[in-house]
Amino acid sequence: MTGLLALWPSGWSRERRTTATILLASVLLVLVMWLISKPLALLPEPIGPAADEFAAGTQVTVELTLVAGISGVLIGVLAAVAKLAPFAPIRWAASLYVWAIRGTPLLVQVLFVFLALPLIVPVQLTDFSSAAVALGVNVGAYNAEAIRAGILAIPRGQTEAARSLGLSPVRTFLDIVFPQAFKISLPPLVNNIVALLKDSSLAYVIGVVELSNIGNRVQAETFRPVPVFLTTASIYLVLTTVLTQISGAIEARLDIEQRSR
Amino acid sequence: MPGIPTPTPTTRPALIETWGVSKRFGEVTVVRDVTTRFFEGEVAVIVGASGSGKSTFLRMLNRLERHDAGRIMVDGIELDDNTRHLDAIRREVGMVFQQFNLFPHLTALENVSLAPRRVRGTSRAEARRQAQEILARVGLADHAHKHPFQLSGGQQQRVAIARSLAMQPKVMLFDEPTSALDPEMINEVLDVMKDLARSGMTMIVVTHEMRFAREVGDRILFFDHGCLLQEAPPDDFFDRQQHDRIRAFLGQLAH
Repeated sequence: MTGLLALWPSGWSRERRTTATILLASVLLVLVMWLISKPLALLPEPIGPAADEFAAGTQVTVELTLVAGISGVLIGVLAAVAKLAPFAPIRWAASLYVWAIRGTPLLVQVLFVFLALPLIVPVQLTDFSSAAVALGVNVGAYNAEAIRAGILAIPRGQTEAARSLGLSPVRTFLDIVFPQAFKISLPPLVNNIVALLKDSSLAYVIGVVELSNIGNRVQAETFRPVPVFLTTASIYLVLTTVLTQISGAIEARLDIEQRSR
Repeated sequence: MPGIPTPTPTTRPALIETWGVSKRFGEVTVVRDVTTRFFEGEVAVIVGASGSGKSTFLRMLNRLERHDAGRIMVDGIELDDNTRHLDAIRREVGMVFQQFNLFPHLTALENVSLAPRRVRGTSRAEARRQAQEILARVGLADHAHKHPFQLSGGQQQRVAIARSLAMQPKVMLFDEPTSALDPEMINEVLDVMKDLARSGMTMIVVTHEMRFAREVGDRILFFDHGCLLQEAPPDDFFDRQQHDRIRAFLGQLAH
């Protein structure tokens, strides 16, 4: 699927086409969030009467994905850097984090943050916040490995050149290593974010009223599982499609050599 | 520390001095007890067979490799684990690599202007103006906007030289700068290096280009099995060579 990138005049530069695509797809995402009740309302029973509920569920799903996705990328970067730190205890802590999170079910993690965490630390998060924390921490562990792989793929000569120009280790990472590593890490990162969008449905078990939760409720009220779950699945498909359009455009933007054209 | 010679005062100021410098990789000693000095405005050319330790020695001069024994002073600063010393030294020592090591995600202009902005705090506009000037000096004024992958090997290496020059170093280290180039591109890089030498830049060059060594070098250093076997002016080194081993080395190159 080529997608939105192919929409633009061939005379446009790569920067212009990718920027236009990112903007258009982002606008589409907002439109889907806010206006999806309009087309759904036109559908016959049992979808039409529940259009507003589906729209609300879609919004929560998108919000959950954005909050957990953005924090998951930040956590991933930090954990990846920590895993490559010269100081061994920092490496151990990061490895422990990835090991524990990757080795346990997401469902258990969601339940843990909502039900068990308040008994350990005196903070009761809302159901939405609990789900966002669990999802962000979970996807962060997978992101850490994707980003670490990207950092390790950058030749040593890049760091040597930057350091011998007098750049500090931090500047070397920010200006030289990370921008190149991010480009390599992007496809697996997108995998993780798409998985996150769908895994956000697990927030359902702690009562977050997101898309899957809505689907199940409407099904329980109408006893019409076929149209209800087809609709639910279709909305997820629309969301993941828009998401991969954005990520595809970012990838094309970073692809200076245009190797994957 | 016992066994390490202390610096002896000289009349001519040396920019870089090494005393009894050694380096081991595991069991193998790749640089053994090298004592020498490099003077301001001098072009020193280091030659020797592959694996003789000449590149490792060069890379020790800005601590891309740590020395296990001995002392190195650069512009009056001791090269040691003190990061402030290291930062100060790296600002004054430029390095050009065999594989160019340009930053592929940046344009030629950005490659050259990055370090002055980040390290010297030069403004973006001023750094770009200077970078454009230096790129013109290496004959690449028209290629400033290109990314490294759009440039030939020779052009890339000239951008790499410009990138080092932008920091206005006191000394430039060249680690086999033409070894990764196609033959037809070697001269454009050597010409830039000759210009640089004529302008009075202090240069330490590891190379297999004997013509360049003879033409531009003020002094030739010959490395063999990690040892600095001989230091001599080019005439003595190439035309009045007494040492059998070096004669054999030069003889192989002639064929």
